[in-house]
Amino acid sequence: MALELFGVPVKKRAMIWIAGAIVVVNGFFPAVWILLTSLKTETELLRVPITYLPDAATLENYATAFTAQPILRFMWNSFVVATLSTALCVFVGALAAYALTRLRLPHRNLIMSVLLAVAMFPLITLMVPLFKLMREAGLLNTYLALILPYAVLSLPVCTLVMAAFFQDIPPDLEAAAMVDGCSRVGALFKVVIPLSAPGVFTAAILAFVNAWDEFLLALTMMNRVNMRTLSVGITLYQGEFAFPWPLISAALIVAIVPICILIAIFQERVVGGLTAGGVKG
Amino acid sequence: MNTTATNPSANKDLSERALGALLLAPAALLLAVIVVYPIATLFWTSLTSVDPNNPQAGAAFVGFDNYLRAFDDDRFWHSTWNTILYIVVTVPGALIVGLGLALLANQPFRVKWPVRLGLLLPWALPLVFAGLIFRWFFEYNTGVVNNWLVAAGIEPMQWLSTPTLAHWAISLTIIWKASSFMALMLLAGLQTIPKSLYEAAEVDGASKWQQFREITLPMLRPAIFVALIFRTITAVQTFDIPYAMTGGGPGDSTETLAMYIHKTTLDFLDFGYGSALAALMFVISMVATAGYLRYTRRSTSRSGED
Amino acid sequence: MKSWKILTAAALAAAFAANSWAQQTTLRIFTGGQQRPDVMRKIADEYQKRNPAVKVDVEVGGATSEAQQQYLSTVLSSKDSVLDLVLIDVIRPAQWAAQGWAEPLDAYLGADKAKVLPTYLKAYADANQVGGKLIALPYFADSQFMYYRKDLLEKYKRPVPRTWDEMMETAKIVMEGEKNPQLQGFSTAGAPIEGTVCTYLVPLWGMGSDLTKDGKLNLDTPQARQPFQLYGRMKQAGVLPRNIAEIPTDRIRIDMQAGNLLFAMSWGYVWNRLENDADSKVKGKIGVATLPHDQGGKSATCIGGWQVAVSAYSKNKPEAVKFARYLSSPEVSKMQAILASHLPVFPSVYKDPEVLKANPWFAEALPVVEGAKSRPVSAQYPMVSDIIRSNMNAYLAGTKTTDVALNDMKSRLKTVYR
Repeated sequence: MALELFGVPVKKRAMIWIAGAIVVVNGFFPAVWILLTSLKTETELLRVPITYLPDAATLENYATAFTAQPILRFMWNSFVVATLSTALCVFVGALAAYALTRLRLPHRNLIMSVLLAVAMFPLITLMVPLFKLMREAGLLNTYLALILPYAVLSLPVCTLVMAAFFQDIPPDLEAAAMVDGCSRVGALFKVVIPLSAPGVFTAAILAFVNAWDEFLLALTMMNRVNMRTLSVGITLYQGEFAFPWPLISAALIVAIVPICILIAIFQERVVGGLTAGGVKG
Repeated sequence: MNTTATNPSANKDLSERALGALLLAPAALLLAVIVVYPIATLFWTSLTSVDPNNPQAGAAFVGFDNYLRAFDDDRFWHSTWNTILYIVVTVPGALIVGLGLALLANQPFRVKWPVRLGLLLPWALPLVFAGLIFRWFFEYNTGVVNNWLVAAGIEPMQWLSTPTLAHWAISLTIIWKASSFMALMLLAGLQTIPKSLYEAAEVDGASKWQQFREITLPMLRPAIFVALIFRTITAVQTFDIPYAMTGGGPGDSTETLAMYIHKTTLDFLDFGYGSALAALMFVISMVATAGYLRYTRRSTSRSGED
Repeated sequence: MKSWKILTAAALAAAFAANSWAQQTTLRIFTGGQQRPDVMRKIADEYQKRNPAVKVDVEVGGATSEAQQQYLSTVLSSKDSVLDLVLIDVIRPAQWAAQGWAEPLDAYLGADKAKVLPTYLKAYADANQVGGKLIALPYFADSQFMYYRKDLLEKYKRPVPRTWDEMMETAKIVMEGEKNPQLQGFSTAGAPIEGTVCTYLVPLWGMGSDLTKDGKLNLDTPQARQPFQLYGRMKQAGVLPRNIAEIPTDRIRIDMQAGNLLFAMSWGYVWNRLENDADSKVKGKIGVATLPHDQGGKSATCIGGWQVAVSAYSKNKPEAVKFARYLSSPEVSKMQAILASHLPVFPSVYKDPEVLKANPWFAEALPVVEGAKSRPVSAQYPMVSDIIRSNMNAYLAGTKTTDVALNDMKSRLKTVYR
């Protein structure tokens, strides 16, 4: 009776569209705002009443963003640090989450609380000892000086997120895999992780974005220009008094776009595949 | 390993423990190397004090003086009160908005990435910059919000220099940013709910609302609790957004405990008092999350039984 | 046996000589992103040319003075030796002296100290000496000026105001005459930021009073209330922007540049932006003068600017001091004035024809800078600043009355000035 489009009733299709639009508008509006700002001149920002679309769009801010600072180098540093710390954090966190949810261990809650406690201290009050630690270890201005603390700082959230997902996997599936000759650790990688792929993926995103955006540690541990990360690099465009929004917007867009592309690809290809495989298996 | 799976003896418990210890070892090692020393230093520092007019004389052991000082410090109580306000408003706020977004994003879209990015972008925007952008939105002359008000014939408002309005502007920004984290977690939870459950409920004639209450919410519970724990811990540490939007102003009416600790430690260089405040913040976090932890204990012990 | 020893000694001596020949000192200097690191690089290149044994690394850190200090506090609290020299804000020498982060320079300068110091602007020579010790050397100067619209004052035939009352009167006349709803009369920093400390201090100093007297808190005077009352009157008269409590430093420049501001109190960087930015609507229409004062008072203003300190943990102190002295020389002051429009720290450089050609307004700037004062000198300056700015900000936002703001200020400042 009702009209259909792609095999779904039009009314339902419209609802889906509205749902999508709400999420997209809510998530995108500040990003679109900076994107538009990055195409404006500083003069245009002074105008009252304000303008939305740029009057005369210019790419000059991007040109400046790329020439004023070695932003590609910053991006590479951020990428290395974020990727390796995420890998370390997810790997270590997955082992811990497995132990905490699938094994009968004493003092499980104590272990969880200790893990959580790490997240309860403001980083600034740990800065001086952390700096001393890294200096003693000779790690200042090396990627490890950020990879290790980032992995640790994201460890509580990653472990608990994965634990929440591991918890829901029926023990029978795991037992079946073990009967098939898998070891427990094998079952973790072949059954538990694929089945909770959305959770593991979420943990990875959290860790990755945490590392990508972190500022204070990155500023303190890396004082050589060629070791700076993006989050610190962006602030180098700023002046003591002046805050050149168009230029900083351009730099922000340059900083955000790669993670977005990376995550979109990862989501569609890797996680989509894992989830599909896991559910079928 | 096969034998341990089939043989339910005391032997099994032992090897499970050994395996558990082995699996937990990397995490323990990382924590021990990176944070144990800084956290121990923090507690020790909180028991010492430096004469601010003669810092080179070094730190003297003062016992719990710094903690006692906090109890007499109006600014500590005031900033703690502000922090509690942000917790009370933004934790449920972000949960509700985040759950809504996750449900909306879980529709069967043909192209998934725009919605995905819509969920992800607020989270991916660095905190300070999120604060700065929203400060701009709430600006008196060149802000979007006042621009709309004026267009609607309403007087522009001083969002960032009126205490109540500033609180709301900051809370709104935090909710916008944090609901993204919530939604990501909850969407992942939604994706692991087997479709067959809904199909079965459909057959039984359950309404959408009943399905939500009977299937979605219970299945999401672990994800919701983890999200709440971390939202609460982060809310206790609220710093960047008010710092960028109001700098704690007007006066110090929007200052949070984390901002006060930041000032005390890095600006006033009063490491002893700053560390004591950080330890007190740790206590606040513990209290605020104790309820959740009790819940997880119950739920995990239940799952351990079956 | 003996010949073997001699041979070894000779070899060692040769190796040592070769080594010292090739030995190069690397000096690392920290500067904020806004103090023109590019110009610092040029100056350092020039120095390297003259001193081939020295290589200078320029480290660029955080944008604002506070962001820089937060990084430096971490590095220096751990007694790290990576930095040899640091550019510090003029408000910091007292704190740096108290923390022992800066190497006192007196012993290195020796007899030169008495010769060199009087050549600087007096306020800078004073600001860098704490308890008789020379903590840093001035690198470039800055101060708050009154910027005004020459064209509008001419149009309404009003003189450059000398007192706050004159300024308010002129502002009202011009604002009524122009009928531009965007036009504001007077603006200054009002947000809870460092600049707002000067917003309070300038009118206070303008009445010949000060925050402290002989090291004791001096706020029980009638003058201590005046700054609040002054801004209260301005607010009532509609001369101040309505959102004054949200105004950070650069907003003032932006409003002036857009032609929406008649009088402004701000730092030296504003002039160059107003005159040189392509989008400036007020090119050639801007005048610079000393700030107004109260009837019977005397104009006053805050000094700003940056100093070069030698880190107490540096491993190359003598070399670092040599470089610091170069950075704080009339020659470099002139280079900075021409390349970066940085205000010189030597009165003589203001009169240099090449400098004046690049910055004609320096002639008007000199009397202002010469009359500028230091903000309170205290090992706990960040605390003092926080107390003043947050109360001034609360007053401007209307959340505290004069009495409450002043009492809160006094009771908290008492913990610093015991």
